[in-house]
Amino acid sequence: MLGKLIKHETRATSRIFLPLYGALLILTIFTKLVMAIGAPDFFSEAASNNRVAEIILGISFTLYFILIVGICVMTMVMIIQRFYKNLFTDEGYLMFSLPVKTWELVLSKLLVGMIWSAVCTVMIVLTFFIFSLGTFSMMELSQAIRSAYSMFYLQTAMELNLFMAELALFILVNTVASILMIYVAIAIGQLFSQHRIVAAFGAYIVITIALQIIGSVFMAVLAIGNLENLVLNGRDAMTTIHWLINGSTVLNVLFGIAFYYGTQSIMKKCLNLE
Amino acid sequence: MMMTILSTKNLTKSYGKKTALSNINMEIQRGRIIGLLGPNGSGKSTFIKLAAGLLVPTEGEITIDGDVPGVDTKAKVSYLSERTYLNDWMRVSEIIAFFEDFYTDFNRIKAENMLKDLNINPDDRLKTMSKGTKEKVQLILVMSRQAQLYLLDEPIGGVDPAARDYILNTIITNYKEDASVIISTHLIADIEQILDDIIFINQGELVLSSSVDEIRETHNKSVDGLFREVFKC
Repeated sequence: MLGKLIKHETRATSRIFLPLYGALLILTIFTKLVMAIGAPDFFSEAASNNRVAEIILGISFTLYFILIVGICVMTMVMIIQRFYKNLFTDEGYLMFSLPVKTWELVLSKLLVGMIWSAVCTVMIVLTFFIFSLGTFSMMELSQAIRSAYSMFYLQTAMELNLFMAELALFILVNTVASILMIYVAIAIGQLFSQHRIVAAFGAYIVITIALQIIGSVFMAVLAIGNLENLVLNGRDAMTTIHWLINGSTVLNVLFGIAFYYGTQSIMKKCLNLE
Repeated sequence: MMMTILSTKNLTKSYGKKTALSNINMEIQRGRIIGLLGPNGSGKSTFIKLAAGLLVPTEGEITIDGDVPGVDTKAKVSYLSERTYLNDWMRVSEIIAFFEDFYTDFNRIKAENMLKDLNINPDDRLKTMSKGTKEKVQLILVMSRQAQLYLLDEPIGGVDPAARDYILNTIITNYKEDASVIISTHLIADIEQILDDIIFINQGELVLSSSVDEIRETHNKSVDGLFREVFKC
């Protein structure tokens, strides 16, 4: 049933996102074409001899910026709205009558939210790549990457791959935990008989403050005895940053688990659709 | 197979300080059409939501075919809420595909035939429909399942009298012999002819539970007449 929930969740969200990403791609390619034809040196030289191309590019970059911001905001709004509206308003009457387990409902929303967050990142990188096509050669790029690897190893005595993997894991875990934190706040809001949205906001703020405190304590503990390493450049500082990233990942895993179980048990034991 | 499809023991539900249902004990057998009758705010919807697994009892227990509401019971129960719970952006055909995906007992052909009978185009979006038409679509979806228990919360409130007759006819002809239908409504006169049993509730308490024949014999009144007498303001 989880697969079916994910399928329908994807269907419900893609009708919003596919047109947005389609528009983004078309705008990016259009901009790139104008750039290639009218102002090949747009990025390297401030002045250009083609006024029309400059104006068109000015407009399309503004549009591009608005669209990117819009998509990021939309992703966030969608994550909140699909959870709140689909489960806790009238639509919840249908979702909770389905023969599915509560955790499947939560997980399907979470996974699809994650997928759209990932798509958002990938698409932004893709547009950057399209913009910069022709301004570099693959040879130069691979050389630059290779030298970055050796530089990183020289300075920190760590493999860049390992560091990148840890960073990626941190971002992934952090995203999951942030989404689950929104979910648990919405679920806590449902415990109130009135002003549920206000209560959800309140819950979110309280959780944020609690996390800030825990995070600060964690940082303080880690920083004690490591202060000079942080100030210093080089290998020791890198070790500290390394620990900081992995420590945060572990903390976020713990928070995420707590949020997940909190959300699920509220939905299971205290479900009160209006 | 158990003969009792739904049973409650001291079922109580309160919202904060307000008690919506208190100490309800009842057993509902298979193969019956039951009218759950009571004035507005008497606890009819709360009872149905508890049976559908949308609410959790404050005290006591409710079981469907021996199980507390959960995945297993939801697969056996076809629930029509008093809200329009369908996504506005969907087409009727899409919502049919949705039901078909999640309910193994959903019969697409039945649904399509009923849509045709009520002149509803499967390609129409729900957004463009009137409230009454949406209610018809919901009822068609719910009655197209081969469920063991149908919970219909105010199924005819918003639809026109002609469609009302069609719907009531659908309800009687559509369910299997071993299934039961619980209909909550205050439009008693309209559904009286199809009911086997009635349950009167008022202010969260069970007032009367009886078969319709018994009422006609012992009280020498129609259900509607008795209702007006019991709940006289």
